Amino acid sequence: MNMIVCCKQVLDPEAPPASFKIDPANNKVVPPPGVPPVISPFDEQAVEAALRIKDNQGGKITVLSLGNNLLRDVVKKPLSMGADELILLEDEAFEGGDSWSTAYALATAIKKIGEFDLIFCGRQAADWDAGQVGSGIAELLGIPSVTVAKKVEAVDGKARVERVIADGYQVIEVTLPALITVSNELGEARYATLKGIMAAAKKQPIIWKPSDIGVDPSQIGAPGRRSKLFKLFQPVREGKCEIIEAETPAEAGTNLATKLREAKII
Amino acid sequence: MDFNLTEEQKMIASSAKEIAEAFGPEYWRQKEEKGEFGDEFWKAIGDAGFVGIAIPEEYGGSGRGTTELLTAMEELAANGCGMAGVWYLILTEVFGGLSIVRHGAEEHKRKYLPGIAKGELEFCMALTEPDAGSNTLNTKTTAKKQGNEWVIEGNKTFISGADRAKGMMIVARTTPKEKVTKKTLGLSLFLTDLPHELVEVKPIPKHGINYSHSCQVSFNGLRLPENALMPPQDLGWYSVLDTLNPERMSFTAAAVGIARLAINKAVDYSKQRKVFGDVPIGSYQGLQFPLAEAYATLEAARLLNFKAASLFDNGADAASVGAAVNMSSVAAVENATKAVYWAMQVFGGYGYAKEYDIERWWREINLIRLAPLTHQMALNYIGEHVLGMPRAYY
Repeated sequence: MNMIVCCKQVLDPEAPPASFKIDPANNKVVPPPGVPPVISPFDEQAVEAALRIKDNQGGKITVLSLGNNLLRDVVKKPLSMGADELILLEDEAFEGGDSWSTAYALATAIKKIGEFDLIFCGRQAADWDAGQVGSGIAELLGIPSVTVAKKVEAVDGKARVERVIADGYQVIEVTLPALITVSNELGEARYATLKGIMAAAKKQPIIWKPSDIGVDPSQIGAPGRRSKLFKLFQPVREGKCEIIEAETPAEAGTNLATKLREAKII
Repeated sequence: MDFNLTEEQKMIASSAKEIAEAFGPEYWRQKEEKGEFGDEFWKAIGDAGFVGIAIPEEYGGSGRGTTELLTAMEELAANGCGMAGVWYLILTEVFGGLSIVRHGAEEHKRKYLPGIAKGELEFCMALTEPDAGSNTLNTKTTAKKQGNEWVIEGNKTFISGADRAKGMMIVARTTPKEKVTKKTLGLSLFLTDLPHELVEVKPIPKHGINYSHSCQVSFNGLRLPENALMPPQDLGWYSVLDTLNPERMSFTAAAVGIARLAINKAVDYSKQRKVFGDVPIGSYQGLQFPLAEAYATLEAARLLNFKAASLFDNGADAASVGAAVNMSSVAAVENATKAVYWAMQVFGGYGYAKEYDIERWWREINLIRLAPLTHQMALNYIGEHVLGMPRAYY
């Protein structure tokens, strides 16, 4: 079973909210000082889904990450969890992309990898939450995709996927090769072990530049964007609490109703 | 001089952080309240290989050093576990693992290290006695040879983890104090399996860290085979320094980690909390300056602790290691205590409430000025051994 997992390095979503800042002139998020980036948590669960299949029936897991100046100790995490190989699409030309240009570059790299049975992605990245790259890769490769999986099994050339819906889950069978996006309902991703960390530290990632995978330069990174970001801002949330004073509970109720009427809530 | 962690050390730190976040303050609040061991946490760090960081690969560990162990300890403490992130590792990996790695015979290593590395064989050390706390050389527990056996008699106190451990390192006197040519001679180290019918263990109620029990231990004629001795006989004091120095480094890592945890929580709170007008209390210099001062000096303590670890890992002499260990301990104790004190001040009355966790960290940090040795004994060491001043006590 040949599996590919797409993993994105993102700003730590668990960083204190007070450290979150925006550069409004450039519509960019300012990385919080002293808070290292992480692999997007849904992508870690995608790695976990692949590892569970590898645990049961063996196979090879190749991790694919796109970006520029990627931190090795961060992007190597899937290796420390048990993945076999890491390919980095790393170049400044990949910067500033959107869901389309990212899906295009990843799909092109996957074609270069060649043989695969399953591709896993997180259901969405923890930075922009767009949730489009996985399906985009499947479309570009012309293979079926199942989104928001909570369980994945591979049997007899098919994947059996439990897909999360609002009031339960669907069971979907899909022929391989296929792409599956993984949700948090899969359960916690395993911790990196010391032995895994030591092995990962020794492994060198394979670096591919745009020319190595033969992408059209006008379709990757900022030039390849098909969406335009008009404004990036932090919404201001204000909470006010007013205590309704009264001699008796009944009077307090009357006063509350009056206030709500004045505010045109009732 | 390179102050950067290696890629591997950064990954160790990151994995420790992740585990700590899964076993955060609420988990330890409950364990402390119930006086329960953190089984789930212990299994998680055992499975991830943290209990075997400093144990050679041939015995099932990762073959790294105290630098990596301290890195993991500090991150575990700083990211939610507090003292618990360090404590269990001290008992099993330092008291058991490092002692046996450095001084165990091959048969001891084969017997104990694989279980320790997996976290399946908890350990403890029987060193402190009612009349031999800071003064280990006053140890009264005896080990006397009878035929092919050693017979151990005596009482120990504050032996943490003795109620659960499956293995124990015992410090006992094999030659009476009055018969040795030098006062540092005459002690030896022994290994025993636990529980044992001739080893009585009784937990001591204590101020904090109740997710681990510290116990009175009595050896009532415990008979051990000849090979239970970790050689060389009578030179146990010199051997046990290789346990006590990493123990002190671990406590410094705990101090820095607990202080980071408390400071981070206090800083977050201080940015939101408004008492007078629309200004957050974090802008008050009365709160900022002491936290900033503690943080800065703790960073110095942390770097000095890593220097101590580097010296230890690279086989420096005990005097060089001891100097760095005691100086970092002094800096860490004073400033970690200040850090938690001021974190509590930031929270005002809420700092006294259990649900805010600061009061638990306050109880934890107060151990570090008392154990593994009192703050004043660390100062004595620096005065005597680093500055070369006359000894004040005999």
